[in-house]
Amino acid sequence: MQTFLQIIANGLMLGGLFAIVAVGLTLIFGIVKVVNFAHGEFLMVGMYLTYLLTSGLGVHPYATAVAVIPILFVLGAVTQRLLIQPLMHARDEHIQIFATVGLSTALINLALLIFGADIANTPNYGVRSQIQIGSVRILEGQLWIFLAAILLVIGLQLFLARTNTGRAIRATAQNRAAARLMGINDRFIYVLTFGIGAACVGFGSALIAPLYPTSPTIGTYFVLIAFVIVVLGGLGSIPGAFFGALIIGLVDALSGFYIGSDLREAVVFGIFLVILILKPSGLFGTRVSQAHVSP
Amino acid sequence: MRLSSIMATAATAALIAGSATADVKFGALYPFSGQLALLGEESARGVEIAVEEVNANGGVQGEEVTLVRGDAVDNNQAIGEARRLIAREGVKAILGTYSSSRSIAASQVAELSGIPYFELGAVADEVTGRDLQYLYRTNPTAEDMGRMSVQMIVDEIAPALDKDPSEVRVGIIHEDSSYGTSVAGHQERFGEEAGLQIATVQGYPASTVDMSSLVLDLQGRDVDVVMQTSYQNDSVLFLQQANESGFKPAAIIGGGGGYSMVPTAEAVGTDVIEGVLDVDFTQYTVDPAYAPGMEDFVETYREKYGEEPRSGHSLNNYVGAMAIFAAIDGAESFEADAIVEAVEQIDIPEGETAAGYGIQFGENNQNERAKMMGMQWQDGKLLTVYPAEAATSEMRIGK
Repeated sequence: MQTFLQIIANGLMLGGLFAIVAVGLTLIFGIVKVVNFAHGEFLMVGMYLTYLLTSGLGVHPYATAVAVIPILFVLGAVTQRLLIQPLMHARDEHIQIFATVGLSTALINLALLIFGADIANTPNYGVRSQIQIGSVRILEGQLWIFLAAILLVIGLQLFLARTNTGRAIRATAQNRAAARLMGINDRFIYVLTFGIGAACVGFGSALIAPLYPTSPTIGTYFVLIAFVIVVLGGLGSIPGAFFGALIIGLVDALSGFYIGSDLREAVVFGIFLVILILKPSGLFGTRVSQAHVSP
Repeated sequence: MRLSSIMATAATAALIAGSATADVKFGALYPFSGQLALLGEESARGVEIAVEEVNANGGVQGEEVTLVRGDAVDNNQAIGEARRLIAREGVKAILGTYSSSRSIAASQVAELSGIPYFELGAVADEVTGRDLQYLYRTNPTAEDMGRMSVQMIVDEIAPALDKDPSEVRVGIIHEDSSYGTSVAGHQERFGEEAGLQIATVQGYPASTVDMSSLVLDLQGRDVDVVMQTSYQNDSVLFLQQANESGFKPAAIIGGGGGYSMVPTAEAVGTDVIEGVLDVDFTQYTVDPAYAPGMEDFVETYREKYGEEPRSGHSLNNYVGAMAIFAAIDGAESFEADAIVEAVEQIDIPEGETAAGYGIQFGENNQNERAKMMGMQWQDGKLLTVYPAEAATSEMRIGK
């Protein structure tokens, strides 16, 4: 029983970690309708920034979020404006996907050039210390990530539901042509959304960096599972991404213990397939509008 | 028109003249860019130092050795670069490769072209054993790694725990690519032969971000020794999560890669990594009496590159390259068959190379005397502790 509770706790903490990475991805996926393969590399850039700021200035890694979030916002916005937007009217929209794959490779190799293949350790300022709840042990940093993921999800939901900008973002996602007719600057909305999506992962990276050693390929460790979560939760659904992440985290932890660590990916992806067969639009998904395709 | 054609002729003549005085060329095929660049470059430095030393002593068969680099950034490019080295550069042999998959790909090209291929650093079993006539490997392999880790348990750890080897419970975990799987397979086989109790063998993807379930599983199985074959990220993750869940087996034996590197120790903390064992290529804390020339190598390395060697890869490549060049020096010509014939004659006993192990090619053209070394993190340093003749410090086993 004690072991079971510990596994559940581990799974939830892992889910929180996945959630904070996946939320930004689902935003970009759902609204700009671009599969951003460079999302993991945004995480990597954010983690290196956290590492540099923490070790260079001697500040708490969480404090670096103040700088990392705006920088990642700009990185995301620039990516949309300079890389994706010129391809918006390409004959085949899949070209955008290849552009993000190219960006991903370029960023990984840039990091290899600057930092080398070795790992970089962000000072952890005690966030690796343990908290004991009953018989269950978790890391302080994991708990913060979990709470931050909840806050991020609620904050984004409020932003999208209650503000004019948020409504404009949702309108553009539902029907780009109609949104334009209503006077919404869809290009600006896309740049803004991409920026926010990247800023979310920037927030996450400040929290993740003190727990995981940073390396040029760290993003690739997260991005595949993040895609699974986004599809599982329903494209573009932020609560979907959160609960999808918790499900994947729990399944990963439980199958890792009860079935064996060599099979846990098979179990994770098996459950993913089963859910998709039963509910093709994902747990929280609605039918996706294709209206943006027509001009 | 006329002037340019004269210039072109002159340039061509200069080229021909240049190549006439050119020295004998050898290819150095390593990943110099991309993911594996760090240790690829480190490996190549060993060969560069060997070439410098050979040239300082009169070259090979009286000719100066020129090393031509090929960048094996992935398997396809390894093949392309091997072709370029052979066809365009006209190298007499290729040395490489650090990465096993690149080695397997590129050596096939060399074999078809009838150019000898000397593998100095790739560990996968499949590198040799494909019936290639011109491929020779000087470095120890995955099998040597598995053998050495089990020997350490039988000879040192079991006695320190006051247990018979048959009472020692062992958990084997490994990243699930061909590297980890093959080492773990050897550990299981040698472990069973030695009568150890193999409690579990589990693979996991190297890109994992959580190993807590695996740690809980090992904890539940009450193992005395954990053997992990891993890269850097998963080494750090396992050591941290094992420590945090209070899992303290009597010994943890890491295999290569992550366990030998100082940044790993920094990532997990010197107190956490204290006492952790590691099986890998010979490193610089080996007893100099067992590895004559190792200290000179380090000195040359420092002078040439202005820093300390970053891993033992350069040393092992240096040792392999020195032996190969010495053999080729005694060959009748630079023809492939003459080179191979000379290399077959290499007979260097243990304790006479800068890496300690001897060199003699046996079955499948694998160096039968190649050996891994057993090391342990003690007071923040990775010291050689096994075998006794190479050790600079005693193995410390708790409990």
